[in-house]
Amino acid sequence: MSDAILSAHNLVKHFHAGGWGAARKVVRAVDDVSFEVAEGETLGVVGESGCGKSTTARLLTHLLAPNSGEVRYRGRVAGTEVPLKTFRRHVQMVFQDSYASLNPRMTMLDAVAFGPTVHGIDRAEARRRAGALLERVGLDPARFGPRYPHEISGGQRQRVNIARALAFDPDVIVLDEAVSALDKSVEAQVLNLLTELRRERNLTYIFISHDLNVVRHISDRVMVMYLGEVVEIGPTRTIYDRPRHPYTGALLAAMPSLDPDRRTLEAPLQGDPPNPIDPPSGCRFHTRCAQAHGPCPLHAPGSIAVGHRHIAACHLNAVPEAAT
Amino acid sequence: MAVAQTDFDTLATADKPQGYWRGVGRRFLRDKVAVAAACVAGGMILMAVFAPWVAPQDPFQGTMIRRLSPIGSEGYPLGADELGRDMLSRLIYGARLSLFMGVTPVLIAFLIGSAIGIAAGYAGGWVNSIIMRVLDVFYAFPSVLLAIAISGALGAGILNGLLSLTVVFIPPIARVAESVTTSVRKLEYIEAAVASGASAFTIVRVHVLGNVLGPIFVYATSLISVSMILAAGLSFLGLGVSPPNPEWGLMLNTLRNAIYVQPWLAALPGVMIFLTSISFNMLSDGLRSAMDIKQ
Repeated sequence: MSDAILSAHNLVKHFHAGGWGAARKVVRAVDDVSFEVAEGETLGVVGESGCGKSTTARLLTHLLAPNSGEVRYRGRVAGTEVPLKTFRRHVQMVFQDSYASLNPRMTMLDAVAFGPTVHGIDRAEARRRAGALLERVGLDPARFGPRYPHEISGGQRQRVNIARALAFDPDVIVLDEAVSALDKSVEAQVLNLLTELRRERNLTYIFISHDLNVVRHISDRVMVMYLGEVVEIGPTRTIYDRPRHPYTGALLAAMPSLDPDRRTLEAPLQGDPPNPIDPPSGCRFHTRCAQAHGPCPLHAPGSIAVGHRHIAACHLNAVPEAAT
Repeated sequence: MAVAQTDFDTLATADKPQGYWRGVGRRFLRDKVAVAAACVAGGMILMAVFAPWVAPQDPFQGTMIRRLSPIGSEGYPLGADELGRDMLSRLIYGARLSLFMGVTPVLIAFLIGSAIGIAAGYAGGWVNSIIMRVLDVFYAFPSVLLAIAISGALGAGILNGLLSLTVVFIPPIARVAESVTTSVRKLEYIEAAVASGASAFTIVRVHVLGNVLGPIFVYATSLISVSMILAAGLSFLGLGVSPPNPEWGLMLNTLRNAIYVQPWLAALPGVMIFLTSISFNMLSDGLRSAMDIKQ
């Protein structure tokens, strides 16, 4: 699609997990992941722990180099067609751990001002802009500017991290569990801030979270990942109302409900995800899938279009050969 | 009253941002043991610098009749050594060479070792493995043996002694630097800095150095006492400082025969080494806890 601002093309990232030669073992953290994000939209990414969400985030921002595949920014390959330094100004990231993502020896003002100075803006100007950005994210620059990370709260730190990302004047911000570690009330404030900023600056978000309620609230489209693969991607409402992949269905069924008549009595998914060092054959989900049948352990389903911009990787959606 | 005053101060400063080093200074001053250690270490340094003014007698001038005078003899408050030289003056002058031999190799090794360790830790992967395995070769030798071997190969003399001690201290300091840098390297603020598009050099200068030099420095100060003792050992073997120069390690060794006649006198240089090394160690302990930001 031509209007994609950021797209992933067959990204693969394997981590070496010990052993050499024939005994070499790799963790297939991200395996052949492709998707695209349109300008101004928010793509939510959900999945269990260890499904490759964070690795995908780091591949998208080029903090990790993929083993194969490429990331394109406005259709041009990052790292070759777009120099990394330029790419990084346009695609920024906010991390989960608000404390670890700030240098403990740097004041908040300097932390926000650091990025622009790297891109040739002089220090005084960068600090002036940093002050304005702190103000924008709801922190009084006179009071919070000279502070150190340990002197402020988690919510305030995450606002600083957002201001730091904004300092580059980026188009895309990858938010890797950016609100997951915050208290519910603070989380809501930060989410509202993110929504306002998106409207104000026409930002594109890639919002990674394990919290399905938050993802539903903020995303235009949702991507579901399982064991390093994309299992389903589609518009938020469609995904939540009519999931076409059994894994998405199980994830949604696991969402806590406030209605006592609809309480979850049985865990929809049994056990832990299989080991990504040695993923199951065929469809990777077949070992835990209630609807697994004939072709599932044999071959991978591949991406099947099941509706408008809605793709699910499941054999259940395959059109029977006889009917066509 | 004093308590009320303190509370008031805490309240007044609670809402005021403070510089990192001011906080370190404040926490350090609160640590009585560390302050005492700093005073002793500072006193030793002052004593060494102003030795000619402080020492009551010439440390090289001996009187045979005064040989091994006990502590408290008239005109010789700490007695006289085996050649009848004033013990007090020799101990004061001895601080010069002993501290020099203790501090200089550690300081040079701190600069070189930090550079190697930070480079290895930040680069990671293969570069790290190669650098660290090469340094491991030095680890195969006990430090005393390594110092003696290098000194022996280069020949006697203070400069060669310094050089050999420096070589001995580079691997441990580099190893600490590497481990601290590796742990900092994994933190998200370094990733954020990488995501800003900054060069590796800028990231190390702005984000890594400030967070790793403290712990490395603290470790290095703890090596000062080891360095003093190793230097004393080299002097004993005739590889470091040579007589008649006053140096605590050398004095301890030349007085070892007097241990049956004047045990207290013979122990004096050891007491000085002990005092200095323990105060440097406690100083580094105090620094470490003062630099712990989460207090």
